[in-house]
Formats: sequence, structure tokens, C-alpha cells
Amino acid sequence: MQITSEALERAIEELAKLPGTGRKSAQRIAIHLLKQSDERVINLADALVHLKKSVQRCSTCGTITDSDPCTICSNAKRDNGVVCVVEEFQDVYIIEKTNEFRGRYHVLGGVISPLENIGPDDVRIKELLERIGGDEEHITEIILALNPDAEGEATSYYINKLLLNYEVNVTRIAYGIPMGTELEFIDEATLSRAFASRTSF
Amino acid sequence: MRINRLKLTNFRNHKETEVHFAPHLNLITGANGSGKTNLIDAIHYLCMSRSFVATSDRYVANHDEKYFMVDGDFTGEIRSSFKVSCSYSRGEGKKIFVNDSPLERLSDLIGMVPIVVLSPEDLALTSEGPSERRSFLDSMISQISPKYLRDLIDYRRIRKQRNKLLQEFRGPLQTLRSYLEPWDLQLVETGARLIHKRAEVLERFKTYLALQYRTISGLDLKPSLVYQTITDATDSIDKISERYNEELDKNFEKEVDREQTIIGPHRDEVVFYLGDMELRNYGSQGQHRLFSMALKMAQLFYYSDELDDLPIMLLDDVFGNLDQQKTDIITETLTKHTGQTFITSASERPFTISQFDGNSSNSWFDVHNGTVTNKY
Repeated sequence: MQITSEALERAIEELAKLPGTGRKSAQRIAIHLLKQSDERVINLADALVHLKKSVQRCSTCGTITDSDPCTICSNAKRDNGVVCVVEEFQDVYIIEKTNEFRGRYHVLGGVISPLENIGPDDVRIKELLERIGGDEEHITEIILALNPDAEGEATSYYINKLLLNYEVNVTRIAYGIPMGTELEFIDEATLSRAFASRTSF
Repeated sequence: MRINRLKLTNFRNHKETEVHFAPHLNLITGANGSGKTNLIDAIHYLCMSRSFVATSDRYVANHDEKYFMVDGDFTGEIRSSFKVSCSYSRGEGKKIFVNDSPLERLSDLIGMVPIVVLSPEDLALTSEGPSERRSFLDSMISQISPKYLRDLIDYRRIRKQRNKLLQEFRGPLQTLRSYLEPWDLQLVETGARLIHKRAEVLERFKTYLALQYRTISGLDLKPSLVYQTITDATDSIDKISERYNEELDKNFEKEVDREQTIIGPHRDEVVFYLGDMELRNYGSQGQHRLFSMALKMAQLFYYSDELDDLPIMLLDDVFGNLDQQKTDIITETLTKHTGQTFITSASERPFTISQFDGNSSNSWFDVHNGTVTNKY
């Protein structure tokens, strides 16, 4: 095969590195882009560069934001006494969609996992303690909302232990049964956990 | 529970095989290496998501192929018909579908179709190391308790995390302790549940074992078992957790030294006795064979009391060593307590055509070079 355009080849190679894109789709996208107006392609390229350049981590909560502090941390209407601890910024997005939680967040950026060489110092636990101990916020409750797997649990235990030294109330989201699911389709483990953490009616 | 249809593609020496089974007894005969064990191994695959013969999925694919597929139609007493399919390829690994929708976790398959296998390899259960007995116990309980299986998977993960810390942590021991603590809490929580469940199941299982050994041996030697774990196995969960914590505490330095978790159900042992003779070290070849067989028979009878759907039973080449009388006793008792039975045999000797010919509940298949023909 003789290549007539190095530029096209390079674009295909780069596109093929994206998740869910094989060489064939990369080729289709590149050829599609080639047929578009200059303006559209420049817009796309600009949006991508802008994404990388302007998106940063909020220096308070650690979520992704265009301006530091993020819109949640700088929103005076939000309750700054309650902080919800999550693993990643996607979790903020998911909880925000519920419109239920009016406090602020703390994104750990990962969970403790020795197998992946992630220790307590590699996630933003120190920053959480600084927020609780600091004068700027008056945090009274920490809600742990990490995934209920072994690593999430270990991280929750670890944080809870550290927080015993602080005057702050630590809670965790409940283990429960998904809405709209019938009991017979729930696995036994989830069901027995839901029983153990039942609430009064 | 029973399987009505089985289809194999590139499964070991079966290029393309489709078989319709009889609802009751299925006899599969053929020379050694013809592919009869592979046929029932495929059934095992659909029930347990793994082979009972090969150690790795890679070796299951027909030797010059990179993928294999198995699918089967099942019917149960409680559950109406459903289809299980399993595909494996070198690149994508293993995928399991139930009624064409993918299972999120392979472990969700376990217990859907209860299955008991009797094979010559069972001899290892009584004659080899403790891990053989632990995996027998784990597999037996996992099929009747999804919660146990989940705990088992969690426990393994927690132990791995903990071992990694013990291996790689450099720094003051005090810091290591505080890093271990969140894992210890979970290790004890899941580990204590595993021990409690093992003790509970073994206590009931004992009776089944004694009965089965007597039935197949015809002897009065009383078989028994002792479950050895970190504590007295009859303790409550709270008591087990308490002892577990004490042991972890006491062995902290030893664990640091050996760089691994040395306390927990992953070190449990089940010791078998015949009368007051310890079987593993003092039993004869014949006693081992009968005892390991009795274990599997006991598993079957335990399941048939415990479960609404009777299990599928696979008997792989186990009649070669038995006389006519024992063969008859076993086939007779088995077929009453299984949903469906599969027997592979290199020789046709202990079986009579009249059991199969003109009997729609039984079928006799002959396998030759990966090709299956329905004889009767």
C-alpha cells in the first residue's frame, strides 16, 4: 500500500487511540472530517484544546471545573456544614442530577488499593482533614458516599477512624434496594445487607 | 433440573456437536480420548462457568482454534425453560449469557443449575492437601448460598490487598498497623461469616456422609469429619470474630515476617476419619476411593434435601473399578435423587440395552472422535 497523505494517516492513528474507536471507525471519522468545512473542523479542534487547557481541578473540593473554586464551592446558597465524600468527579455529577443534596463535595480522586499501589497519601484525604480543621468552612457532617466494594469500604473505614479526632458527625449512605426493582430479582447479599441496615418506619 | 439440548463449537475435540438428551439417564460410551468426558465437561461449564477437567479456559478451545462456544437449554421444576450460553476467545475472555442477556458477574451463574460431579480425580479430596478439601467445601456451599460465594470472592480480594501491604510496606510498624486496620475489619467480617457457614454446613453434611459411606461400602466403619479452624467451630459469629481479631493481633509480627495473611478460613482444614483412623495418612487405596465417592454422593443427597430443584449429576468414568453390585446400588439410588444423570464409561459391561431401548426417559450415546451418535 502507498500512502498519499501522511496527514490523514496521522489523524487516523490519533483517533484510533480513543476509547471504543478501532482503526476502521477512526478512518471513517477522519474522512468525514476531511469533507467538512474548515470552520467546523477548527471549532472541534478548538473545543478539544480548550477542554484540556481550561478544565482544572477545584482547589477546594477536587472536582473538575473551568474556574477555581468551582461553581459548587463558590455558591453561597449551598450548605457549607455538610460535605459529601466521593471517589471521582463523575460521582459529583451523578449526585447533582438528583437535586437532593445541597451541601458541598470532596473528591478523593481514587480509593485506597495496595494492589494498585494507591495508599492513603495518594488520595485527597489530607486535604479533607485540612478542610475540616480549617477556619473557612464550618463542617459539621461528613457523608461518606464511596462504592460498597472492598476498596471503597477500606477507604471509608480509614477516613472514619481519622475523623474520630475531629468534632464532626460521620455518616454514610445506606445500603439498600434499587427503586423500581422487585424483591425477587435482588441478589441475596444485597438483600441481607438491606435488612441489616433497615430504618424505622 | 435438567438439560434438554447441548451445543458445542470448538469445545476440545468437538468441532461442532449438538445433542438432545433424555430427561432421566444419559449413558455416554466410547473409547478413551473419544470426547465423552468433554461432552459432560461442557455441561459443567454451563453450570459452573469452568471446566472440571482443564485448569485454564485456554486449554478448552479445540487445539487449533482461538475460541469456543457452548450453549444449552435447561428446564427446572421451579424455573421454566431457560438458555445458558458461554463463549470464550483469547482476546475477549469469557462471556456468559442467560436467555441471551449477558451476565454482569460470572459468579451469578453459580447455583442456577446445581450440579454434582463424580470423577476419578475425586481421590485427591481425601488423599491430598487441605486446599482440595477447602475447594470442595467452597464449591458445595457456593451452589446453595450466593451470599457465601460473594463473601468468598470479597474475602479473596481483601486478603490480596492485605498481602500486598504486608509485602511492600516500608516504614514504622505503627503506620503499617493503621494501614492494615481497614482491611482487617473486612477480613474478619467476611472471614467469620465463611467460617460460621462452613461449620453449619459441615454439621449437617456429616450425617449424609455417614449414610452414603455405609451404603456404598456395605461396611459398618463409621466415617466422620472434624472441621479445624481458628476457633471452636460451634461458636456464634460474634465469638468467631472476637477470636479472629485476637489471633490477628497475636500473629501480627509473624505476618509481617512472612509477608502474608496467615490467619483465616483460607487455612482451614477438614480431617476425615474412618472409625478412629485418620483417613488421609492411614487409609488404604480402596478406603480413599469409597470415601471420596461417599463425599460426592453425600453432596448430592444434601442438595436434594436443601434445594427445590434436584441437581444434575455427572459420573465420569467411575464404574470401571466397581463390581456389578455396587454399580447397581449407585445407579439405583442416584437416579432417584437427581434431576438428570450423565454417565460416561469406556466399557459397556455394567449396562444393559433394555434400560435404554424403547425407554424415552433414558438414552445411550456413543462417541467416536468427537462425533456423537444416539444408539438407543
